[in-house]
Amino acid sequence: MSLQTLKVLEAFLDNPADELAGADVRKRSGIASGTLYPILLRLESAGWFVSRWEAVDPASVGRPRRRLYRLTPSGLTRASEVFASFGRGVLA
Amino acid sequence: MKKSEGLARWLIQQAARTAPPSLSERLEEEWLADLEVRRGCFERLRLAVGCCWATRVIAYEHCAASVAAAATATGSKTMSAYMEHDEAYFSRRSVALLLIIALHVVIVWAFASGLGRTVLINLTKPMTVVPVVERTLPKDPPPLPPVAFTDVRIKLPPQEVQVDTEHDPDPTLVIAPPIPTHDSGPVATVVNPVKRVGAGPGNGFPNTEDYYPAAAIRAGLEGAPVVHSCVDEKGRLSAAPTLAKSSGISSLDEGALKLARAGSGHYRPMTEDGRPVSSCFDFRVTFHLLTR
Repeated sequence: MSLQTLKVLEAFLDNPADELAGADVRKRSGIASGTLYPILLRLESAGWFVSRWEAVDPASVGRPRRRLYRLTPSGLTRASEVFASFGRGVLA
Repeated sequence: MKKSEGLARWLIQQAARTAPPSLSERLEEEWLADLEVRRGCFERLRLAVGCCWATRVIAYEHCAASVAAAATATGSKTMSAYMEHDEAYFSRRSVALLLIIALHVVIVWAFASGLGRTVLINLTKPMTVVPVVERTLPKDPPPLPPVAFTDVRIKLPPQEVQVDTEHDPDPTLVIAPPIPTHDSGPVATVVNPVKRVGAGPGNGFPNTEDYYPAAAIRAGLEGAPVVHSCVDEKGRLSAAPTLAKSSGISSLDEGALKLARAGSGHYRPMTEDGRPVSSCFDFRVTFHLLTR
């Protein structure tokens, strides 16, 4: 698992119930968009994340809808295990 | 809408269209939503470029995943041979074209910034600058008036004669030297006139154009500073040259001093009756452009 992927997971683990858009993840993790979006798609296809469209009408709010990502229960468990292994020095 | 935002939006749309069809619309809307929260031209363009890169990665991974799935379904490993990598934005021909355009831009920039002018000057050697000796050397002494020889009579004082017979078994006469006295008229002194030839830049002295500051050439600056140099009898600098008269342009003054320093060993020393001697002199360095 790359360092950038760990940073993305860390951004979600601060508050696992949060739904974050790509811009929010970028602000929290500091990862450039060229790296961030492939990671989000990769983790989503692996079942760590689920995503949905923001429940707004683009015409009424005057902007495109944001795509919101959230950790799945299994993703939360596996992410926690990864960081716990770091704490035990397994991957250090 | 600002140009930067329009360009970023266009790049994002182009990038999303080259993504896998199943993700194209989703990525475009998602990235355009991200663009809305970006502030600043640089941030928007950075996002757009990042999306272009992300599309490449996503398309590659999507293609690889599709091939793997197909291979698993058919049990064939030859499917990878048909995997198309059409996610590249620029073909080799496009890259070559861009490189050629960039090369032309560099050449145009070089000529526009004065590099071309410098090259042309070096090729054609348009400037012929001859340092001119400013300070006039002391002229030859005026001719002496005709010498009037007079009859000079020298009176010798009475000679003292000492005879020491006790201490000197061989007595000799000790005669004090005569003290010349002049009884009348001045004595003419004959001085041979010294023939002097002034010092200055000699053979092998560096070309002034080599020390014409490039910035001054680009700016079209001209001037003629005067440098004060002291050289020994071998034509070498005996002291650091100084600026006797500024041209009013510091870069040209500095170029003249560099020229004077570089000419050490190539100065023509002053001669007195054909014999080289050390001397100090001023000379003017003219920086002149033939064409403006």
